[in-house]
Amino acid sequence: MAEFSWDVRSPLDRVLAVGRYGAHGDAGVTLTEIRNFDLVQVMARRGKTAELAKAAKVRFGVAAPETPKAVGTADATLIWSGPDQFFILSKGRKHAMAALAPLRAGSASLSDQSHARVLIAVSGAKARAMLAKMSSIDLHPSVFAVGAAAATSMDHTSVTLWRGNDQADGQAVFNVLVFATFAESLWHTMLDSAAEYGVVVGHSEDLA
Amino acid sequence: MRIVCPFCGERELGEFTYLGDAKPVRPAADAGEEAVYDYVYLRDNVAGVMSENWYHGGGCRAWLKVTRNTLTHEISAVEPAAGAGAAKVGA
Ligand SMILES: [Zn+2]
Repeated sequence: MAEFSWDVRSPLDRVLAVGRYGAHGDAGVTLTEIRNFDLVQVMARRGKTAELAKAAKVRFGVAAPETPKAVGTADATLIWSGPDQFFILSKGRKHAMAALAPLRAGSASLSDQSHARVLIAVSGAKARAMLAKMSSIDLHPSVFAVGAAAATSMDHTSVTLWRGNDQADGQAVFNVLVFATFAESLWHTMLDSAAEYGVVVGHSEDLA
Repeated sequence: MRIVCPFCGERELGEFTYLGDAKPVRPAADAGEEAVYDYVYLRDNVAGVMSENWYHGGGCRAWLKVTRNTLTHEISAVEPAAGAGAAKVGA
C-alpha cells in the first residue's frame, strides 16, 4: 500500500508570502489569513426555524442572527449566511461539528466547512478604499458598523463578509470568508488592489 | 439595474441570475399534451409589468419573485419565491 503523508496546508500556501509589498511608506492595508478555525454551516430544516433559534440560544447564550449580522459570544461568532442559516466560527474544537449534536437533533442540518473556506482579515487605513474596488457593498462606518455582515460577491466570487471588532488602534477589520478553491484567485485580486496603498501580508492563528 | 433582495437589501444586478417568467404553473399530470407543451415551451413576450423569477446566487442564494416593467426596468415588488427555502423574511 502506498504511503501517504497527510500534511495540513492552507489553500493559500502557494501564494501567501509573509512580508511587505506595493507602495513604499506606511502600509495602508493589512491582509491576514486566519488559519486553523472551526467552521460549521447551520441550516434550519423546513418549518424548524424557531426550534433552531431556541437551541442556538441555549447553546450560545445569544440569539443567532436572523438578518445579515455577525454576533459574537465568549468563544464563537455566529454569522448570518442566508435566510434560515448561519455559520458558527470558533477555535479549539469546542464548537466543532462533533460538539454540536444538540443543534443537529431535529431542527437543523449541519455541514463542516472548516477546511472548505479560507478566512482573510482586511484592515488598515485604506482597507475600505481597497475593498471598494471589488465589492459593491457600502462599507462606510455609518452603514456597515461593527457586526454588520453580507452574503455577497467580490470579483465574481461568492463571499461572506462581516465587520469584526475594531483593532486596539481603532482600525476597522473586515473578515472575508471565501470557498477554498477560489481563495487563490481572490487573494491575487486583493493583493493587486492593495498594492497602491502598500500592503502587509501575514497569517495568524487568532480570530480577528 | 439593482434589485432589493428581501433578505440582503439593495444589490447590483451582477449578483442575480434571471430565471424567466414566474407565471407558468406546472399542469396537473392528466392535463394533456397541449397544456404541457404550453407550460414547457410557450412564453408571453410581455411589454410592460411582468412577474419574473430571479436567483440571488451571488448573495444569499434565495429564489425571488420580482415584479418588473420590461419597458422601463422599474421594479415594483420583490418577494421570496414560494419554496425558496425560507418560510418568511427574517424568520
Ligand atoms: Zn439575497
